[in-house]
Amino acid sequence: MFIDISCAQKKKYNQNAFGDYFVSGRFPDMNRVVAVLSDGLGSGIKANILACMTSTMLLKFMENNSDIEKSCEIIMNSLPVCKVRGISYSTFSAIDCYDDGKATIVEEGNPDFIWIRNMEVLKPEYQIIESKTFKNRKMKVYSIKLEKNDRIVFCSDGATQVAMGTKGYPLGLERKGLIKIILKKLEQEPEISSNDLSDFLVKQIEMIAPNKELKDDTSIMSLYCRDPREALIFTGPPYHQEKDSYYATAFKEFKGKKAISGGTTANIISRELNIPVTAELSLNSGKLPGLSKMEGVDLVTEGILTLTKTLEYLESGKPEKDAAETLMKFMLDSDCINFLVGAQMNKAHYDPNLPVEIEIRKNIIKQIAKVLEEKYLKKVKVQFV
Amino acid sequence: MEKLVVKVCLGTTCFVMGGSNLQELSELVPQKYGDKVEVTGSPCLGLCSIKMEYAKAPYVKVGNEVVEDATVEKVIAAIEKHINNKN
Repeated sequence: MFIDISCAQKKKYNQNAFGDYFVSGRFPDMNRVVAVLSDGLGSGIKANILACMTSTMLLKFMENNSDIEKSCEIIMNSLPVCKVRGISYSTFSAIDCYDDGKATIVEEGNPDFIWIRNMEVLKPEYQIIESKTFKNRKMKVYSIKLEKNDRIVFCSDGATQVAMGTKGYPLGLERKGLIKIILKKLEQEPEISSNDLSDFLVKQIEMIAPNKELKDDTSIMSLYCRDPREALIFTGPPYHQEKDSYYATAFKEFKGKKAISGGTTANIISRELNIPVTAELSLNSGKLPGLSKMEGVDLVTEGILTLTKTLEYLESGKPEKDAAETLMKFMLDSDCINFLVGAQMNKAHYDPNLPVEIEIRKNIIKQIAKVLEEKYLKKVKVQFV
Repeated sequence: MEKLVVKVCLGTTCFVMGGSNLQELSELVPQKYGDKVEVTGSPCLGLCSIKMEYAKAPYVKVGNEVVEDATVEKVIAAIEKHINNKN
């Protein structure tokens, strides 16, 4: 089972810093995902610092399986004290979740999370842990078992309290109002990704706010348990030429989306599988060679230049219109990305007379794998052949 | 008359060695020759790795002829030569 996790946020109106903070980490070796959403006291930079400290510290504690009670005491003791209110405060929701569905959730101060299974909202049991040193600080700890197609939505109170005091929402949208919006969306789009659902919910909340001006930072962190979307990217000719046919067949038989990144690689697969490949010559391809077409393959691009640019886009999150943008989208639309990296090098690429420096394929793939895992929480497998 | 096929290599070496400028051919050739000449790309003509010692990328194939160090002018000249020979 794959845990698709994503967070969308909007700042309080007229603020230039987020007062809520989201961090997450995926540990593919342990089939584990950890994520924290924290809401700092107040808004703007002060809230941002409180929330950022809380969530990053908590994530580290959870990663190392530290005792949650102790971890929270340490965090509360370390946070700077607010000048206005004389307290150090930030609320949080955290989830530690394994691919088999076993999950621990800890909440302090944030609205109760929403757990949806077959369009029903479940009411899990929890244990309350009270802070020994801080009065009125209570944590709720849940041990739950997620199943396929379950969804979990966490939010900051900006979401549930939006439009509070207005005629339509005297008490704000409230948790039940949020549930209504979620269920309606799930009815229309039962397989919506966590990314799209979080985005949608935050936008809806903004629409509800009078004049679309949010009175508080608003965050939605959403989880979706589902079958992973697999993708295979074949790049570079295999080191042993006699194995071309073997890898071409493996590529053909892969169940999932397929891409080829590399002109020679495309030619090899075309030759071995006897499928013609055609390249489009166009002035509209930006600064990179345009896409090629091959039946049965979802995407065919040039190799090193496109991969280098893709890495740049993945890091910056600001793609331009070209083949690398398409390749980036191909990666981000998948959960498990398998790279089949041929180790044979084209000596011509290392000619010092080339006007640009061409990276070594292995290095780029390693860097792409790292950013996909760490920033985009993808599962990545790299096989050198 | 059989159509003359022009293939522009879009592989890495050719692209950085000036192949990117050859994309102009996709508009220029149809304007000039209409249906008589077809211009397409190729994921890689595979010439840079076997003809390394010459290092004459970008490569373009005009029919069976390989144009080395290709420029728009050189490719047009090669097309002219083919058409004139046939006539």
